[in-house]
Amino acid sequence: MSSKVQILFKNIHKKDSHTYKVARDGGGYKQAEKALNMSTEDVIDEVKRAGIRGRGGAGFPAGLKWSFIPKDNSRAKYLVCNADEGEPGTCKDRDIIRYAPHLLIEGMIIAAFAVGAERGYIYIRGEFVKEAKILEKAIQEAKENGFLGDKVGGKNFRFELAVHRGAGAYVCGEETGLIESLEGKKGQPRVKPPFPANIGLWGGPTVINNVETLSSIPSIIENGGDWYGKLGVEKSSGTKLFSISGHVNKPGNYEVELGIPMKTLIEEYAGGVRGGWDNLKGVIPGGASSAVLPKEVCETVTMDYDAIAKAGSMLGSGAMIVMDKSVCIVRAIERLSRFYRHESCGQCTPCREGTGWLSQIMTRIESGKGVEDDIDLLLSIGNNIAGKTICALGDAAVGPVSGSIKAFRDEYIYHVEHGRCMVG
Amino acid sequence: MPTLIIDDKEISVKPGATIMEAAKQLGVYIPHFCYHPKLSVSGNCRMCLVEVEKMPRPVISCAMPVNDGMVVKTDSEMVKEARKGVMEFLLINHPLDCPVCDQGGECSLQDQAMMYGPDRSRYREEKRQFPNYDLGPLIETEMNRCIQCTRCIRFSTEVAGVEEMGAVYRGDHMKVGPYVEKLSLSSEMAGNIAESCPVGALNLKPFHFQARGWELHKADGVCGHCSVGCQISNDHLDNVIKRVSSRTCDEINLSWLCNKGRFAYDGLTVERLEKPAVKDANGESSWQSALDKAAELIKAVKPEEVAGIADPSGRGAEELFAFQDFLRNAVGTTHIDHRTRLQDFSGDEVKLTRADLMMNTSLTDLATADVVLLIGCDPRFETPLLNLRLRQASLAGAKVFSINPRKLDANLEGITQSVVAPGDEIAFLQEVMAGFDKGGSKGEAGTIASALKKGERPVVLIGDYGNYHPQSETIRRLAVAITEKAGALDGKWNGFNRIISRGNSAAAQDLGVVPHRGPGHKTLESKGKNARDIFKAAAAGEIKVLFLLGGDPMIDAIDSQLVKSALDKAQVIYIGTHKTPVANQADVLLAGLALGEKENTVTNCEGRVQRAKKAVNGPIESKEDWRILRALSDRFAQPLSYNNIEALRTSMAKADHRYDLSELDTNEIAPACDHSPVTTGLKIAGSSSSQKGMTLIVEASFYRDNGLARSSQTLSLLTDGDSVQISPQDASKQKITDGQQVRLINGERSVEITAKVDEKIPEGVLFGQFGCKDNLVQDLYDWEGGFPQISIVGL
Repeated sequence: MSSKVQILFKNIHKKDSHTYKVARDGGGYKQAEKALNMSTEDVIDEVKRAGIRGRGGAGFPAGLKWSFIPKDNSRAKYLVCNADEGEPGTCKDRDIIRYAPHLLIEGMIIAAFAVGAERGYIYIRGEFVKEAKILEKAIQEAKENGFLGDKVGGKNFRFELAVHRGAGAYVCGEETGLIESLEGKKGQPRVKPPFPANIGLWGGPTVINNVETLSSIPSIIENGGDWYGKLGVEKSSGTKLFSISGHVNKPGNYEVELGIPMKTLIEEYAGGVRGGWDNLKGVIPGGASSAVLPKEVCETVTMDYDAIAKAGSMLGSGAMIVMDKSVCIVRAIERLSRFYRHESCGQCTPCREGTGWLSQIMTRIESGKGVEDDIDLLLSIGNNIAGKTICALGDAAVGPVSGSIKAFRDEYIYHVEHGRCMVG
Repeated sequence: MPTLIIDDKEISVKPGATIMEAAKQLGVYIPHFCYHPKLSVSGNCRMCLVEVEKMPRPVISCAMPVNDGMVVKTDSEMVKEARKGVMEFLLINHPLDCPVCDQGGECSLQDQAMMYGPDRSRYREEKRQFPNYDLGPLIETEMNRCIQCTRCIRFSTEVAGVEEMGAVYRGDHMKVGPYVEKLSLSSEMAGNIAESCPVGALNLKPFHFQARGWELHKADGVCGHCSVGCQISNDHLDNVIKRVSSRTCDEINLSWLCNKGRFAYDGLTVERLEKPAVKDANGESSWQSALDKAAELIKAVKPEEVAGIADPSGRGAEELFAFQDFLRNAVGTTHIDHRTRLQDFSGDEVKLTRADLMMNTSLTDLATADVVLLIGCDPRFETPLLNLRLRQASLAGAKVFSINPRKLDANLEGITQSVVAPGDEIAFLQEVMAGFDKGGSKGEAGTIASALKKGERPVVLIGDYGNYHPQSETIRRLAVAITEKAGALDGKWNGFNRIISRGNSAAAQDLGVVPHRGPGHKTLESKGKNARDIFKAAAAGEIKVLFLLGGDPMIDAIDSQLVKSALDKAQVIYIGTHKTPVANQADVLLAGLALGEKENTVTNCEGRVQRAKKAVNGPIESKEDWRILRALSDRFAQPLSYNNIEALRTSMAKADHRYDLSELDTNEIAPACDHSPVTTGLKIAGSSSSQKGMTLIVEASFYRDNGLARSSQTLSLLTDGDSVQISPQDASKQKITDGQQVRLINGERSVEITAKVDEKIPEGVLFGQFGCKDNLVQDLYDWEGGFPQISIVGL
């Protein structure tokens, strides 16, 4: 455990950390005030130099996203915070909202100022009832203290913020699905282009960032983009929250610098694998849609965007699902593919038909009725879905299936040959 | 202009075009299901994936805008692989019941599966099943065939403006339908959802199991049910029209048809007049003796004791031309008219141009208007396809105002409706006029004036109510004056539009089926009697022979009492197609042909002249109307000069150059709108009406407006019984309940009918409809008496 820079979780150990008073005493809204005295270009520039990549899963550089907002568009611009934390295994944004809602609001003020948005929405997962209330309260406090409203921080900048609760669809975490839902329509992702930066919410230019991304902004303003850029490793700068669940002794959310070895993260932060490191079977490194990595890979891989991608998976939302040797991979993936079948919005053909098909085959294999051809059929169906859908849900549904076949093909073969699982 | 390369061929396209559009321009076909050129892009079927150089993944060509220098491959391995995958996905849950599917043989899914799909399925699971819906008499559903392309949803929501179709649930259980199990589609455009369905999920109910697509012969027709003149295809088999489908025409109907145009065809085989008949001979007659009898009747009286009334709806321009030619030149009478609903004939006293009488803004331009003023006009049910253009304009932000005797059931976004009581229109329009002056008018009229003033492309439309108003000519002149004030008569943009909804009325105007003008809008030295005076004179015994061409004035004309006494008194010769009441009265019946059974020319409300081909033969002993007239004229000193349709068309073109289509290429369409100037500065009369008591308005009934529509079994399922609509206020005042029989009384005239209480009806007005079977509310109209003042008694 080397340097422990805490940006997001810095103040969460304090009592009543979710209140304006505690936040303000701990330096809250100072960076918003600082940013409002900067030029919008300088704010975007700092964020660009920080190199922070979107924490929702796609890892798109946030500063670059902001700079896509056209300056000459006369339509109202919007800032949307994606708090629809639905990726199975992920629970990091919930903690930020619970314990540091003002940090998020401050980040949103800075972002809104930078892109020229007068209205912001926090689209929060429907199940987060308590968290939505905390946010409402925090917004109220920020308003009372002049950080939201007509004159933010006493400056000539108007910013209104509203919380919108989702209705329980995973696909509304996809940014354009989220916009549709926010507009009151059925949550179905839009065809891109046009991208939200040009035509987004209500047809206006729109920036959509994840809770964690936005909450990281104040520290970038405070310490400068260069400082932030030096945290972590090349092309994966800054700190990241990892939600570690599954067969570890201390599951939970941990804020660490990107690039930390996975083994260190599990062993030193999450209390180690149940039954010891050698009892590890594999880790899903970045939420349910990322491919499972077998133990051999987990030994050496580091937790940053590029290293995980090189290992054949993705960092995603940073939700690590640790599985020890008691896990039947086929059964675990069968459950996940049922999830994707259920959550596919049904709009585009490959995802609508493909996720259903994948799930049915997985169920067949799991229940002992699989045939050997099914394994290659799964890969072939996956290949016909991936990259051919409107949004990334199709790819997400394929990732766990093809990833697990790649790493644990023997388990699949055992299933179709013996009609049952090789584990217990 | 961006230039790109598609399959090694270079092409330049307009900026913002998509790869799909560019490929189409180049003649490269990209398979697709959800893409429809007249609907928004949804990009969901993924069949049109293509490979674009430097892009890591295939992209959908329907949504991807082209960039300069783009290199697109529509037939690479990546594309083939992608299509094959999509095809397999689409087919796994499809029932593959092509042998019993109406769409079989003309199905996108079938065709593309053959072209691009795998030859066998790898799907071993159970197929998904969806319940079917009861969508009313027009659409048959087989939802297991649905491929979730959402065309029907997009059509209903975007084009028809009725949110009746949608999708519920997610993933592979996403279900397309009307949200509820049973819903009779209310849209007047509902048939289009079946036609645009790429598979056999939504089928035309009247066509269900009637024929296979590949057996059908297609004949290009022009719809005659209203004056828009949509391009249709009469799809026929074994001499029966089995289906009417739309032809895509960007200038007129885009890709759509209204229900009346699409479903009325079954009326062709119902209640037909099959052979000529002479009343004296107990209805038995040969053509020879029937024509002899007709000639005898005409010759027995003086020429000026003969009059002709034509119904342009269902007639071709050829017949209308031959009709007036026969009456004017063979018989020698000047009493000819077709305007049996017109009450105010004062327009005949001045020389009006073609531009004064019809539309001056083309349908395509109408969609770009920024202010729309409807005067006594209900475009949705008078001219549905014209209404679509107005809807397009309204969706693009045009301000729409309506001045009508009631709130319209409109689908125009943000329409502002002024409900003006019958008789008060002129005062209201004058207030609009005053609104252009300094100081202006306040209230609704003022708002309309200031919107028109600000508009850069304003249009004014007068519809049926305005055209058949007791002071219609005053209204027309006021509309011209308002258009002029709005700056929309300046030569660059002509926004004055008079829309007569009756099919082919424009041809009747052009070709002299009016008492005061000859063919080609030629001024005549001696004017004949107009429709009203013809019937009056006939009732008085001054006109002794009435020659009727098509239609049925007993059902379609105002003042059916007068018409009835005229028909009783005079000898009647009738060329018609259906057994309507007038056919029973006729002394000589000559069996003519309906649209679809003859080649003919139709002129639409924009003044566009179009040709229709013959699809099927009529009843064996029936004949083309113009041939009947030609044969009849042989019995006169001066017979008609043409012996075939080409010669007739040459005469017609000589009389009116617009009917000369010889210069047009095969796929070219004649121009719209006349560019003659609108006559301005005519004297505007004051309002003369002072209304007291209940006023009766009789309007056209959408599904019963002409003989063919009235005979259609399908359309009859869409209409309620005969009724008169009354406001809840008046109903409670008169102690009348919904559905009660009432007697309507105007002096000595009275009609018994069912009352329907409708909260959309304003107080003091009753609404009845033309085309009722038994209870002719137009009986209560005195042709010269303006709006009838009615007393109502509950029975």
